Amino acid sequence: MTASSPSAHLQLQSERNESVPVSPPIRVAIVGAGRGGTALLDVLHQIGTIEILGITDKEPSAPGLQRAQEINVTVYERVGDLIKRPGLNLVMDVTGDPSMGPALQEQLPAETDIISGQASRLLWTLVQHESTLQTELLHAEKLAGIGSFAAGIAHDMNNPLQLILGLAENLADEVDLDAVHAQARDIIDAVKRTTAICRDLTSYSRRTSLRQDCLVNINGKLDEALKIARYAVALQDIDIRKLYQPDVVVKGNPDELLHVFVNLITNAVQAMEHRGTLTLETSAVAGTTHIRVSDTGCGMTTEVQSRIFEPFFTTKPPGKGTGLGLYNIKNVVHRMNGSIGVDSHIGRGSTFTLTFRDEPGTSERTTPS
Amino acid sequence: MSEFKSGFFVGGESTNGRVLIVDDEPDIRKVVRMTLQKAGYDVLEAENGEKAIEVINSGENRLLLDVIICDIRMPKVNGIEAIAYFRQNYPRVPLIVLTGFPDTDMATSLLRQGVVDYLVKPVEGDKLKASVARAMEQRELAHL
Repeated sequence: MTASSPSAHLQLQSERNESVPVSPPIRVAIVGAGRGGTALLDVLHQIGTIEILGITDKEPSAPGLQRAQEINVTVYERVGDLIKRPGLNLVMDVTGDPSMGPALQEQLPAETDIISGQASRLLWTLVQHESTLQTELLHAEKLAGIGSFAAGIAHDMNNPLQLILGLAENLADEVDLDAVHAQARDIIDAVKRTTAICRDLTSYSRRTSLRQDCLVNINGKLDEALKIARYAVALQDIDIRKLYQPDVVVKGNPDELLHVFVNLITNAVQAMEHRGTLTLETSAVAGTTHIRVSDTGCGMTTEVQSRIFEPFFTTKPPGKGTGLGLYNIKNVVHRMNGSIGVDSHIGRGSTFTLTFRDEPGTSERTTPS
Repeated sequence: MSEFKSGFFVGGESTNGRVLIVDDEPDIRKVVRMTLQKAGYDVLEAENGEKAIEVINSGENRLLLDVIICDIRMPKVNGIEAIAYFRQNYPRVPLIVLTGFPDTDMATSLLRQGVVDYLVKPVEGDKLKASVARAMEQRELAHL
């Protein structure tokens, strides 16, 4: 089996930078697309050193087959075709059928290994555990971030409350009926403003919904992220430049994407120490979508850039950052079959670029943004 | 800027004094104006530190400011910088901080720097008026 932790993956990447030869990916085939197969698919396809050559199940409606199509893993109708693929290193039999293992073994070339039975079951359990941990980590990091919203929330709630208090105190002995009506209306407006804030925040803090991926309006999501990011960082002295190409959409989970954008924006503003230019750019050309978040902040050394996606790595002072933001962003983006890159220069600023390729034949409805 | 209390100079009208409220939220300026005007003060407004400095330096206002009420979290010249500016250039004008986000460390630091009071929104009208009245007393005492 392979080293599957993200930091091991990144270690390989930085090793690549130092001209050490990299071992080729392990090529696997998944036989069985039930719960086990689907779980394997989800976790393994995020790992750069593992290549999934295909998946198969005798049941065409098995859930893993649909998932495979969503993430561009080849679905095979006949198990014989899959296991005969040249270069296949390992067959993972997660069918739970005791006769499957021996039957497959007979057909395999000598250089292809197979795991089935209890070994498979153990693997599946480990994979599920890892997947659960990743989800928990994402949610924990999100909640930790919300703690930093306290100042922004207090500001945005206490201001309308001050107005309401002042007007109500005045109303207590106001005799002019017109003034009473006008002030009562002002109070109602102030309450509505405060309710909107609570709604935005509780919506953001809920667990990421498990609904199926759908087409997300990226420009709308970026605007929504700006609204949330305001609670964490002061945006008043930041120039915000939006270079949106109209109608840019990407297939994904809208809550996860919102979280990704909130993180990127708050990081950018913190790098600028609250003064500078934040640029949000979207483009979709020839089937490739780019989303860029740029700042004019302090920038990062190459050494820091090579580590920022590691879990628990942070350049912020203790207590100020979990070191999980970019790690989680990277996981979300990879789950969506996209990639994230950074370009940064000390003293000039940084640009984070998310890249997604359109899938052929997507025909889902767009979410309202 | 004159060190005399504004009451002597405001064209014969008696007011209890002139107050400048500096806050980027129009709602706050409105409610502070309402409350203090009812208590007989003359109220000027500014939406940020930069504008506040303009207001202080323009025309007859130069002579007439008794108390400044200021928020901290504001665009352009932010509250902390504005406070430092006021303390330096108009040291005899008492400062009251009115903020939406309570921060004890910040409060202690500001009070040590000579800010007269640190109020947290939403503040009741009576508390605000009492704070301004105390600041006015300080202003008078400063001339004895």
